[in-house]
Amino acid sequence: MRKNRAVYLLLALALVAAACGDSAGDTTTTAAVATTTTAPAATTAPPETTMALPAVDIGVDFEAGKIYVGMLSDLTGPFGPLVTPIVDGHSVYWENVNANGGINGLEVELVVKDTQYIPDNHVQFYGELKEEVVAFGHSTGSPHTMAIREALEADGILAVPLTWYSGWSDPALNSNLVPHGAPYCIEAMNVLEYLSKKFEADNGAKPSLAIVSVPGDYGLDSAIGAALAAAALGLEVVYDGTGKVIPPAAGTTFDPTEFVTGIVGSQADIAFVTATPGTFSGIYGGSLAQGFEGIWSGAAPSWNPAFIGPDSPIRGGIARDFWGSAYISPWSSDAPGMKELRDLFAELRPDAPAHDYYGEGFVEASILHAALQKAYDNGDLTQAGVVAAAKSLENVDFGGIGPAETYVGEPNDRLQRQSLMFRPDPADLDAGGSGTTVVEDFFTSDIAAAYEFTGACYKLEG
Amino acid sequence: MRGRPLLFTKYTADQALLPTGTKKVMAAIFVALLVSIPFDLIPGLGFLAANDWLKTLTRVFIFAIGALGLNILTGLAGQVSLGHAFFMGIGAYAAAVLGAAPGALWGLGLPIWIWLPAAGLVAALVGVIVAPTAVRVRGLYLGIVTLALVVIGGWLFRNTESATGGSQAGRNFPPFELRLWQEEKPFLSFAEDGPWFGIDLSAEAKTYFFLLVLVAVFTLVAKNIQRTRVGRAFQAIRDRDVAAEIMGVDEFRYKMLAFAISSFFAGVAGALLASFVGRMIPESWDLALSVQLIAIVLIGGAGTVSGTLMGAGFVVIVPRFVQELTDLLKETIEEGEGVLARIGDVFIATSGSDGGIINTLPGSGPGLSVFQLNLVLFGLLIIAFLIFEPLGLYGIWLRIRNYWKGWPFTY
Repeated sequence: MRKNRAVYLLLALALVAAACGDSAGDTTTTAAVATTTTAPAATTAPPETTMALPAVDIGVDFEAGKIYVGMLSDLTGPFGPLVTPIVDGHSVYWENVNANGGINGLEVELVVKDTQYIPDNHVQFYGELKEEVVAFGHSTGSPHTMAIREALEADGILAVPLTWYSGWSDPALNSNLVPHGAPYCIEAMNVLEYLSKKFEADNGAKPSLAIVSVPGDYGLDSAIGAALAAAALGLEVVYDGTGKVIPPAAGTTFDPTEFVTGIVGSQADIAFVTATPGTFSGIYGGSLAQGFEGIWSGAAPSWNPAFIGPDSPIRGGIARDFWGSAYISPWSSDAPGMKELRDLFAELRPDAPAHDYYGEGFVEASILHAALQKAYDNGDLTQAGVVAAAKSLENVDFGGIGPAETYVGEPNDRLQRQSLMFRPDPADLDAGGSGTTVVEDFFTSDIAAAYEFTGACYKLEG
Repeated sequence: MRGRPLLFTKYTADQALLPTGTKKVMAAIFVALLVSIPFDLIPGLGFLAANDWLKTLTRVFIFAIGALGLNILTGLAGQVSLGHAFFMGIGAYAAAVLGAAPGALWGLGLPIWIWLPAAGLVAALVGVIVAPTAVRVRGLYLGIVTLALVVIGGWLFRNTESATGGSQAGRNFPPFELRLWQEEKPFLSFAEDGPWFGIDLSAEAKTYFFLLVLVAVFTLVAKNIQRTRVGRAFQAIRDRDVAAEIMGVDEFRYKMLAFAISSFFAGVAGALLASFVGRMIPESWDLALSVQLIAIVLIGGAGTVSGTLMGAGFVVIVPRFVQELTDLLKETIEEGEGVLARIGDVFIATSGSDGGIINTLPGSGPGLSVFQLNLVLFGLLIIAFLIFEPLGLYGIWLRIRNYWKGWPFTY
């Protein structure tokens, strides 16, 4: 009994300590906000500026000299291997900004939460973070972002969506999200027009098409774009597996037989598969084993650079068959922004391997950087002030890492329609690169250019 | 009988809700404590009044309702069930179809006093439909049958798009709003800040109180089921089903009843969870959710109502504590001074090259994410409780209680 008593005592002490620690933290933050708002001429004014301090509410602490930015990231879920380098990109970007004076002397600090790609967690972490950050550096996943959309609007907080669902470009669906890159639906049009033209030039005939996708906004948005492109190009869809690929639940394995049979049996010239990297490689590997030699592509998140890794069983095949598209320039791109990115990584993360997704972090961070700076200059660095600043941004340039973005004007005019095409390059990977070579820099296909955007391609309902 | 709290001269006194004076006082203090939390009246618990902690506590209440249901089936009647998440899903979608605004997806726009009980009833009905299969088997086989429910449910939810919104897309659920019928403005909304009876409350605090009332009602119901004829029949079946039947307990009937009641609780909890979260995808109602509920019942103490409540608090709040503790340690390490920073550095990896059990940037190097650590922690806790303290947190509480009962004469 005596021993147990000691344990309980310790437990109780730990609880009390944790409780005290937390409440103490709360009081200091509120105190800081109170002093800065009531006394603008506080002693801690940033050195560079003579302007009055901007108004602040949540997520900016002048005393600590910090701006807090929330990150709703999938670090250990199905897209974890892709989102982790994006978060790395973010942190390197902000380290550099902070080292060079920050935002008028304020350092940006990221508060990263791992949502595991579970909407429930996403909502929970959103609830926690909205009380401590000024804006969200990214929000991973469409159903997840959809789940917090109304709250973002009600709470007046900005978020950069880490999802390319076409609905984010529709103001009716969102007012506080600042998307970037061509949506899945437009991307599919660009990819298919590019591949179809190339096929026709090589073979003198139009290619036949197999469309396969996962369900939900991601797969269906992409598949609808592919179907629109097929109709516009006059391509015959010989196999349609739209929305049929179900990513396996944890602890189970994916059976690609249905799709392998469908694709191989249809003898399609182009297989357009929008899926998770895991399901994509299953379908591709199965078809390869049966001797299928068509052209393969799909929305960008289907691709994982690990496909051409040294131990990958599909290394040789996929290097021959795959044509990828991207929203951002890959690691080896000549764009000035990418050169700067590589230099920063060499300086700040010398051990980090080359990865194509760092650029995504840079683009997201750049949008937020522009919004925060503008909000500061407007004298309103509140959560709502950052939203207002972001909505007035025009022609945000990323130094070629991604196509420039604009957030004012008609949705149809400002919709991003540019994609980039790349090929897997195992030799580049072995030489220490990211394993991709750009074959067509950012371009807009005729179909995408002519597409009248009136709302999401795939309507994500109620 | 003053001074002899354990001497009961009537069965009714023995079976009373709160048989002793101490229990009455404790229960009153506990309820008063819970009610006072959003008003920040108790020093040291002030942090709980913050909106995000209120949300965590609200989540505790929702899981408590679901776990109380599982406790009736597993703890009282002894029927292992891995299918609780399925019934929660059924309840959630019944609520959505009845309560959500009409649109492209099914939705009738009915008020909460219809959709919430209906969510429970529909789930109970489904429970009764599947029960005849389930009550024919027991033990491991029952576990497999109920596991199948989760798998079938996963397929069903993915493919009934008009009700569920479809795989990876999901749908919105009706908010916590009280309407008499389908009038434009609810007369009581839990989703908006504003005064209630002259007291200014945040939306989070309102939801908290709403769920507090519900969890109180369901606790009473669960407690009452336990201490009546039905509850005793359940326990008789749990302890020895053959003997129970010889004594005249209709095994089939009571097992069916246990399934129905437990599914009712699950359905209501599912509807509440979905409404609380706002939008969920069909993949949410998976085995992991069932396991979480089983963890609550086992860690709390199978067969006890207060244990289940403690378990719900434990399972929902511990991950939050681990997260906060990790963040705290991370900050200490980054500041770099003191003993705590050195100790923390052993456990926590703050960058890819750093070693440690927990990695604050998972995926960038070795080490578990906080979530994975929590899973490991729950697994270890379930094993530890099953071996060392089968009564769970309730058992620990019992020992503390018994210690103080005799204090200072503990020998």
